[in-house]
Amino acid sequence: MKRDVAITINGERHEATVDHRLLLVDFIRENAALTGTHQGCGYEGRCGMCTIIVDGVAVKSCLMLAVQADGCQVLTIEGLARGDTLHPLQHAFWEKHGLQCGFCTPGMLMTAYEYLKDPDPSEEAIREGLKGVLCRCTGYVGIVDAVKQAIATLEAMPAAERAKWFPL
Amino acid sequence: MVSAVNGGGEMNGGKWVGRPLKRKEDRRLLVGEGQYVADLKLPRMVYAGFVRSPHAHAKILGIDATRALAVPGVVAVMTGRDFAEYGPILSDLSVPKLPGETKRPIFSALPVDEVGYVGDLVAVVIAKDKYAVEDGVDAVDVEYEPLPAVIEIADALKPDAPLVYPEWGDNVVYHQHLVAGDADAAFANADHVIEERFTCPRNGASPMETRAAIASYGAAEGLTVWLTTQRSHIKRHLLAEYFKLPDNQIRVIAPMDVGGGFGVKAPLYREDIAVCAMAMKLRRPVKWVENRQENLLNIGQERDQIHEMAIAFTQDGRITGLRDRMYANCGDARVPIYIGIAMPWLGMMYLTNAYDIPNLDVDLTCVVSHKAGLTPSRAFGSFTGRFAIDRMVDLAAKQLGMDIVEIRRRNAISKFPHVTAAGVYCDSGDFDGAITKACEAIDYPGFRKLQSDARAEGRYLGVGFSLGLEFSGLSSQILVPMERQPGFGVATVRFDANGNVQLAHGDQPQGQGHDTVLSQVVADELGITPDDVRVISGDTQSAPFAAGTLASRMASYTVSAAYYAAQGLRKKMASIAAHLLGVPDEPEAFAFAGGEAVWTRDPTKRLTVARIAETALLAPTELPPGMEGGLENTSHFEADAPGMQSTNVHAVIVEAFPDTGRYKILRYVAVDDSGLALNPLIVRGQVQGGIALGISNACFEQFHYTADGQQTTASLAEYLMASSADLPHIETHEHNVPTPHNPLGSKGKGEGPTGMVPGALGNALEDALGPFDVRITELPMTYERIWRLVDARRRAG
Repeated sequence: MKRDVAITINGERHEATVDHRLLLVDFIRENAALTGTHQGCGYEGRCGMCTIIVDGVAVKSCLMLAVQADGCQVLTIEGLARGDTLHPLQHAFWEKHGLQCGFCTPGMLMTAYEYLKDPDPSEEAIREGLKGVLCRCTGYVGIVDAVKQAIATLEAMPAAERAKWFPL
Repeated sequence: MVSAVNGGGEMNGGKWVGRPLKRKEDRRLLVGEGQYVADLKLPRMVYAGFVRSPHAHAKILGIDATRALAVPGVVAVMTGRDFAEYGPILSDLSVPKLPGETKRPIFSALPVDEVGYVGDLVAVVIAKDKYAVEDGVDAVDVEYEPLPAVIEIADALKPDAPLVYPEWGDNVVYHQHLVAGDADAAFANADHVIEERFTCPRNGASPMETRAAIASYGAAEGLTVWLTTQRSHIKRHLLAEYFKLPDNQIRVIAPMDVGGGFGVKAPLYREDIAVCAMAMKLRRPVKWVENRQENLLNIGQERDQIHEMAIAFTQDGRITGLRDRMYANCGDARVPIYIGIAMPWLGMMYLTNAYDIPNLDVDLTCVVSHKAGLTPSRAFGSFTGRFAIDRMVDLAAKQLGMDIVEIRRRNAISKFPHVTAAGVYCDSGDFDGAITKACEAIDYPGFRKLQSDARAEGRYLGVGFSLGLEFSGLSSQILVPMERQPGFGVATVRFDANGNVQLAHGDQPQGQGHDTVLSQVVADELGITPDDVRVISGDTQSAPFAAGTLASRMASYTVSAAYYAAQGLRKKMASIAAHLLGVPDEPEAFAFAGGEAVWTRDPTKRLTVARIAETALLAPTELPPGMEGGLENTSHFEADAPGMQSTNVHAVIVEAFPDTGRYKILRYVAVDDSGLALNPLIVRGQVQGGIALGISNACFEQFHYTADGQQTTASLAEYLMASSADLPHIETHEHNVPTPHNPLGSKGKGEGPTGMVPGALGNALEDALGPFDVRITELPMTYERIWRLVDARRRAG
């Protein structure tokens, strides 16, 4: 069974005829050739690497079919930076050593993206917020520090500038 | 880029080494431009998937691929019979050569008539897309006749146990009896003896990226394999032997990005071989990306040890003897390079670890079973033994009424260099100083007051320590007899014509930040910046031959090779500069800084590094007479000692909740020795990540096998890796003692921190639960297990 879909990823519209069973993560990686989104479990939503933003909400793209995303706006790790200027979240992960092998990084960034909207979370709240994405390298310390820094950076910005960093 | 974002060029005396530079690797990873094996595609590529055994032990009566071949997109199905032409996998090249008695299983990439664990390979399906592969795998019909299975160590050692390899006559794959000093006398003369049994089930370091391979074959080019591996050259050599091809007809490429290794990606696996064979047979590129279920059924499983340990000690707290009957369950042992035995062997060699115990009697028995083969994981073979020894020290203190810190000071290795009873050379370190620093960091005296106040309020706080002697690489003296592999670090420094540097080395990373650290080292030696250095590794066609990434070797061995390679090149550059400037040829008269070679006798005479490189590469006629063109140098570094070690102390404070068995880590303080922190940011990340893995292993993780060998933890819903919410903040402190055996004094930090955790945490938990008099001897320390210990004590009154 096939169906036509049109999914806008990072502002670019991708049209394709896809099997109903095609997972959104595979549409992103195979059809759109955006391999920054990773897959690390058995397509069962347990590792969090494939987390993306769909219409403003963080979603594990292995738990969604491509056909369900028809007509949706999707943001992936490739869409965070504005040209050569990194998103404050990317900056913070870099400065706080929030990544090592980089495999969980797309999941961490896109999950944190949603939580950045909380202006003053406790460390505990950040740790709770990120628990759907597993990391085997960092021990999470740098990641938690990075999210704190990103929130502080964004909070210090004028509202209009801040809004630019939240395209979805 | 590095210099711009980090600033402070004058920091650390103007040197790059020692500065917490942000990593060069990160930018591509942060914008989604990493390149992992799963991201690659080749023209005409097809996908492989494996049919795997649902039985722990069974005869294969028949394999019927009819339905599978009818699935749209399926190209081929192959079974063990299709691999018969290649012969057995293990050879002298791929079996450890340890002292003691080793047996060797004979096996092929895919079994022909018998499977040996749940998840064992049965057939491979090739299809045009990965969805069709899954359909094809489901449609292969296999008829099995289940056979009796042996799963745990005790089962394997029963006199009437079914035999995993009948030709052996028993289930023992390796045995060694290590005796040093006079343990009998130590025990006979001891004031006290304690015996205890410690266990750890299977767990390990499963990285977030599973295994993946793409193989491509052409008659002229030979075999090219992109592989998630820590050791490209060793795998190429083994593949060449297996396929009877010369090494130069095989190219193994670990891409720029490998998503974590931790030892799990060090062995050669049967799937790697099968994917290569498929590509050669089909003459099309074949891609295999392991799914998580396959991953958890097959690899990342380590530990699985039992220690029946006894220590002898004097009234003043000096441990004089150690006896251990040590057992390890190696599973099917069909894992080339290690066959499950290398890990427990090294664990035995490091059993006394930080403690100077002169008399030893250790008997190691490694069994085979119908579990998956044991694979290396961070804390290589040591996790259970480290738990045991640090628990024993606390038990001795308890028996003597001695302070847990004082007993550690009395038994820790105190004079360096030192050779342990098992023969491990310890070059440098300072346990005493590190203990003091850890005690200050957690305010140990203050904590005891806090603990007693809390107890008066019905709260249960506890503190625990562990000491660690961690290897920083394994020298050739150890690695050659162990695996017949070189221990040297190797690096080639090569200039481009514009004065930039390519650095090729043999220590391919899986996220450790090697590019950044090596760039810092080379930049200092050549007077350039880390941004001027491009680092190459992982591809056998461009990286120099080396054993690969293992055992924390980078900071001590590979860094030293890069240092010497750059230093050697500097002499040539000084000669060129002298010639071009018309000054005497005295290499030591030139300083390299700020991208220039400066004649120190008259600093107005200077030349850019770029000009020197340009001359050497593009204008050899302008070189000093007789000098060869080009600007390139390779160094193979061997330390002038059998090994380098770092000395570390960790302290943990927990609060336990006896009614539920839950506990919370309130403080985790690590005092670690990296000799010289080449990049403190990266060192800290290695320590924190290693500890996180240790906590996850010690508290949560277990590959659970039922009595008939079903593994019930083959998803991340059951195999519980710690999340951010499960872990505490981890505090790190440096206490560095440079090694005298390499030029910068630096020591590796990848392997060590994990093994520090179970001892410190077990000790803290038992201390917290002191009023209940529980004894914690089994890992993982799940909440349920702790609750059961407390509950049993309460019932006993």
